[in-house]
Amino acid sequence: MKILVCIKQVPDMESKFKVDAGGTWYAKTDLAWRMNEYDEYAVEQAVQLKEQEKDGDLTVLCIGSEKVKETMKKALAMGCDRGAHITDEEVSGKEPYQIAGIIAEYAKDKNFDLIFTGMQSQDRGSAQVGILVAEMLGIPGITTVVRFAFKDGVVDVKRELEGGIKACVSVNAPAVITCQLGLNTPRYPTLPNIMKAKKKELLSTPVQELLKVEARQETAKMYFPEKKGGGLVLEGDAAALADQLIKILKEKTAVLS
Amino acid sequence: MNFEPTEEQSLLRDMVRDFAEKEVAPSAAERDEEERFDRGLMFDRLAELGLTGIVFPEEYGGAGADYISYAIAVEELSRVCASTGVTLSAHLSLGSNPIYLFGSETQKQQFLVPLAEGRKMGAFGLTEPSAGSDAGGTRTTAVSDGDSWILNGTKIFITNAGEAEVYIVFARTDKDAKKHHGISAFIVEKGTAGFSFGKKEQKMGIRSSPTMELIFQDCRIPAANLLGREGEGFKVAMKTLDGGRIGIASQALGIAQGALDAAVNYAKERQQFGTAIGRFQGVQFQLADMATQIEASRLLVYNAAYRASNGLSYSQQSAMAKLMASETAMRVTTQAVQILGGYGYTRDFPVERMMRDAKITEIYEGTSEVQRLVIGSALTR
Repeated sequence: MKILVCIKQVPDMESKFKVDAGGTWYAKTDLAWRMNEYDEYAVEQAVQLKEQEKDGDLTVLCIGSEKVKETMKKALAMGCDRGAHITDEEVSGKEPYQIAGIIAEYAKDKNFDLIFTGMQSQDRGSAQVGILVAEMLGIPGITTVVRFAFKDGVVDVKRELEGGIKACVSVNAPAVITCQLGLNTPRYPTLPNIMKAKKKELLSTPVQELLKVEARQETAKMYFPEKKGGGLVLEGDAAALADQLIKILKEKTAVLS
Repeated sequence: MNFEPTEEQSLLRDMVRDFAEKEVAPSAAERDEEERFDRGLMFDRLAELGLTGIVFPEEYGGAGADYISYAIAVEELSRVCASTGVTLSAHLSLGSNPIYLFGSETQKQQFLVPLAEGRKMGAFGLTEPSAGSDAGGTRTTAVSDGDSWILNGTKIFITNAGEAEVYIVFARTDKDAKKHHGISAFIVEKGTAGFSFGKKEQKMGIRSSPTMELIFQDCRIPAANLLGREGEGFKVAMKTLDGGRIGIASQALGIAQGALDAAVNYAKERQQFGTAIGRFQGVQFQLADMATQIEASRLLVYNAAYRASNGLSYSQQSAMAKLMASETAMRVTTQAVQILGGYGYTRDFPVERMMRDAKITEIYEGTSEVQRLVIGSALTR
């Protein structure tokens, strides 16, 4: 059984972000990097499936600079068998359609039975890549998965919808699964597995060989919301306070209109 | 020269920090308060993560990593819980390493493999009422009797005592030999008749790490449990402690880093006179000194660890690392309490525990004075 898990390296979300000079992405200096949280669930599920299916062969894919190999090593230490590194120094400038295009181009002739990825990245948060990959490969895509089972070629999952509603979906492999918080608890990469990871195959492919689609969207501007003014403190006796408050509500809101 | 960690060392640090913050930190204050050792968390989980045999080769159940990796693991555990840090350090450096360094192949298979795999825990019994810094003052005796050795005596202040299954015990085998010449090292298993535990120490710090007496009363062990050659015990002890100092230096480093992190977070949030106290130069200067001393300690620890991993002499370097890191830990934790003020003095914040934990690092596995002796005598030899 061939399994692919697609991961992304993102900044630690507790970092102090700044918008970069180009004004369309965050500055990458002074950031600590880690695996996208949702992709950790994807890796864990893929490793569990590999352990369940005796003939499982699990590839982890990541697009980015040499630096993303650090995050790929974690996935290898968690149990992935091999790494496919797509070398791209400009990955942060690519939009979801292009990222999905690169992944689909890589995967199209490799007959993966299942492809896992996070439901979204923590930095861009488009939640489009997984579902676009499924569409491009012409296979089913199931998103926001919080429970996963696989037996005899059939995937049974539980999806999390808004308002606390859940949905159960069955689909035949091949399929793309995007993973949501609550699916599992990612394992720690143990030290012996960290040591073994450095011996695992990690091949790099230039992105030019796989990027066949044009961008469909462009980020015009990235910015922090303007700081709103401080609160307004009203003073005086109760009757005066009430008058002031009513006046403000009438003038500045639609509450009393 | 390269100061960058390897990818494996970075992954290890991330993994241990993640584990320490998620699983060890939440109960650290409570375990300290209750003086409670939690074997499942503080040892068995470390075994599952492959940390109980970090530096030993894979054929002996270890991970085949280097001493810097070991230092990183102890540092990250100690950053949130010094008791967990010393549990690993005493098990690995003191309870297991002597068998790796001096044990026969049979002893390695019998004892080192289960220790490295974390199926058994190790401890080290050198200190006695009359022998601490002066290991030559050992009064515990071992007398050869057929296929056995018979041990009599008492060891005190033994870390991991009661919990550990394997003990490295030092005893005098030649009454007539002068001072440290007549001492030998032995492997003693918990449960051996005549081997019992005395009182549990009530300590100032590292309160969730058990410290007890070992009592030997006509304790008969197999002759095959002699570790190294007869009369070579002092050498076993000194070589072991060279490595042990890296563990304790790393523990001290972790305590100091934990205190600095707490102080920095507090200084950024605590408002006084209309601004965060971290904006005051007086506080910044203190934090700067703390961070600088920690970084200097870290480089000394990694230097000693690097030398230990690469077959270079490291006795003097590990003494320097331990001296610097432990005194830094004491100073930095004291300053952290000062920065947190009244809150720092309460048990609502971790820095008072860190200050209590730091003190022992200046005392055990060679006091600061003994470290100065090691360094000074090497300089004037």
